[in-house]
Amino acid sequence: MSQPNLAVTVGRQRPVHLKNPVIAASGTFGYGLEYLGQLDLGGLGGLVTKGVSLNPRQGNPPPRICETAAGMLNAIGLANVGLEVFLRDKLPALVPHGVPVVVNLYGESVAEFVELARALDQAPGVAALELNVSCPNVSGGGMAFGCQPGPVGEITSAVRAATELPLWVKLTPNVGDIVPIALAAQAAGADALSLINTLLGMAIDARNRRPRLGNVVGGLSGPAIKPVGLRMVWQVARSVDIPVVGMGGIISGEDAAEYLLAGASAVQVGTANFLDPAACRKVAEELAQFCQAQGMGDVNELVGGLEV
Amino acid sequence: MSDWAAIKENKQVGEGVYRLRLTAPAIAAQAQPGQFIMLRVSHGLDPLLARPFSIHGVDGDDLLILYKVVGKGTRLLSMVRPGNKTLSLWGPLGRGFNLDVKRPVLVAGGMGIAPIVFLADTLLNQGRKKLAFVHGAVTGKALFGGSEELRTTLLGRDLEPYLASEVEGEERYYGLIGVALEPALSSFPDSSPCGGVLACGPLPMLKAVAQICARHKVPCQVSLEAPMACGLGACLGCVIPAAGGGYVRACQEGPVMDAALVDWERTKP
Ligand SMILES: Cc1cc2nc3c(=O)[nH]c(=O)nc-3n(C[C@H](O)[C@H](O)[C@H](O)COP(=O)(O)OP(=O)(O)OC[C@H]3O[C@@H](n4cnc5c(N)ncnc54)[C@H](O)[C@@H]3O)c2cc1C
Ligand SMILES: Cc1cc2nc3c(=O)[nH]c(=O)nc-3n(C[C@H](O)[C@H](O)[C@H](O)COP(=O)(O)O)c2cc1C
Ligand code: FES
Repeated sequence: MSQPNLAVTVGRQRPVHLKNPVIAASGTFGYGLEYLGQLDLGGLGGLVTKGVSLNPRQGNPPPRICETAAGMLNAIGLANVGLEVFLRDKLPALVPHGVPVVVNLYGESVAEFVELARALDQAPGVAALELNVSCPNVSGGGMAFGCQPGPVGEITSAVRAATELPLWVKLTPNVGDIVPIALAAQAAGADALSLINTLLGMAIDARNRRPRLGNVVGGLSGPAIKPVGLRMVWQVARSVDIPVVGMGGIISGEDAAEYLLAGASAVQVGTANFLDPAACRKVAEELAQFCQAQGMGDVNELVGGLEV
Repeated sequence: MSDWAAIKENKQVGEGVYRLRLTAPAIAAQAQPGQFIMLRVSHGLDPLLARPFSIHGVDGDDLLILYKVVGKGTRLLSMVRPGNKTLSLWGPLGRGFNLDVKRPVLVAGGMGIAPIVFLADTLLNQGRKKLAFVHGAVTGKALFGGSEELRTTLLGRDLEPYLASEVEGEERYYGLIGVALEPALSSFPDSSPCGGVLACGPLPMLKAVAQICARHKVPCQVSLEAPMACGLGACLGCVIPAAGGGYVRACQEGPVMDAALVDWERTKP
């Protein structure tokens, strides 16, 4: 049998075309350039940058990461080079590699999100914006926006008015009911929803009675969170009309297939990049093999195919 | 690029210390002293992350790692049997030692011996003579990773050794490593002083070494440790407080750094 079609399109009004549904997740792939010696960036479905803020951020005091059972905690504190350096040094170096670049944005106010979006609207080579309204790491910051429908809708519509770029809103799992928040983002003009961000957690070193992270609490990611990600993608996908980009604990092609079945149109791979720098390529290859083994000619046949 | 490496040998050489021999031609061909690899110790999900290990030596296509069992990952690694088993790894990573140093003094504390052996080999192969070599461990027995073989090999080479252990009377020479470093630095005539100290070891030791070097106005390179996820500069998990504020990545701007670039006050073991 010939190779199955892996190409997918995320969004209808402002479509983003991907050669395969596997995208590198924000914060685990730097600005892409760090992985140049590791794999062909042009072969990726897409790449989401580390969250960019208006001003450079130093981030949290170390230790910033800690391994947990089948997962890890991080409290990086959204360290990044800031908008100016991103536009000057990172984006122009990344764009020629031919990978759709999704820029993840982090703002501490609606005005900051808008200013970031305006600046990126003018920058060549941006495939889409992903609004991080969900990062749990900054005390009192992103948490407040992402936990309620009102603020999520407010940011989304303000950014929508500032740019014609495709707009993906990235949701936090640290909420009671994610569906009203997803609906608010949709109503405010989001082109797609990305989920899930990390789950708030902590780890303790009992022997010296200290938290293992400098920030005390951090975000849990990796295989340990896959069941939560699947559940939330399924809940959201059946409630909204816009596409969902699913993530949380994907390390294999079959994991990706599970997310597509739950209703995701594409997936992101985060922590798995730390187990193998070529993880995104591997997941895409395995997904193709999975389709072939299942006798499918097109990966899109999986999307929303869960039989309940 | 990430790769699979065959395990040729995984041999206990001292108390809780093992030497791993992996076939990794691409990494072996490029490795510089002070650089490291990220190694996954199992194929499963727990432990999940790869572990950073310094390159201890290069032998043709083979890479040598000297490691101590300290937790779950290294314990699992110590149980891996050579044969058709392979492990995944990527490297060589990070910045190694700057070798362009006249009359260097090498300093290895505890398992810091692992990269210092590769460094010494490289410098001796460049034709350096009578390399000053300071090595300390908590007990005399733990020097050289507890390996008789390594002790014999190293002491048989063209080195000027200054050995130290904290347990009194166990080793002939000095107590704390800092005490051993002083005579090593003083051994150079004033007309041609030591051109730089190249050190690897636990954080408190590196801090002491950096202070001594500052006092003697000798440049000092230190190899630092931090928990790591990617090893590639992408995750920003491995940061070290930088002099003048902010942070630098141990995997990218390091692991070997000019001691003057580190904010020692803000570093915590
Ligand atoms: C650049 C570099 C080079 C190193 N070279 C060597 C070497 O040549 N020989 C050697 O024996 N050890 C070396 N280490 C330390 C080695 O990485 C740790 O001992 C090892 O990761 C411990 O894993 P574990 O699962 O047994 O311990 P656990 O405590 O169970 O590990 C839990 C987590 O903490 C991390 N961690 C624990 N201790 C350290 C540490 N000291 N440094 C960084 N991360 C740590 C682990 O990687 C893991 O993610 C090096 C560390 C770095 C950063
Ligand atoms: C070290 C690290 C840094 C991250 N930084 C960001 C970030 O800057 N912005 C963001 O939206 N998500 C960030 N994330 C979340 C991931 O993009 C992803 O949503 C999450 O890790 C779940 O996917 P995974 O289990 O495949 O890692 C980060 C995750 C990790 C592990
Ligand atoms: S280990 Fe990821 S940036 Fe250093």
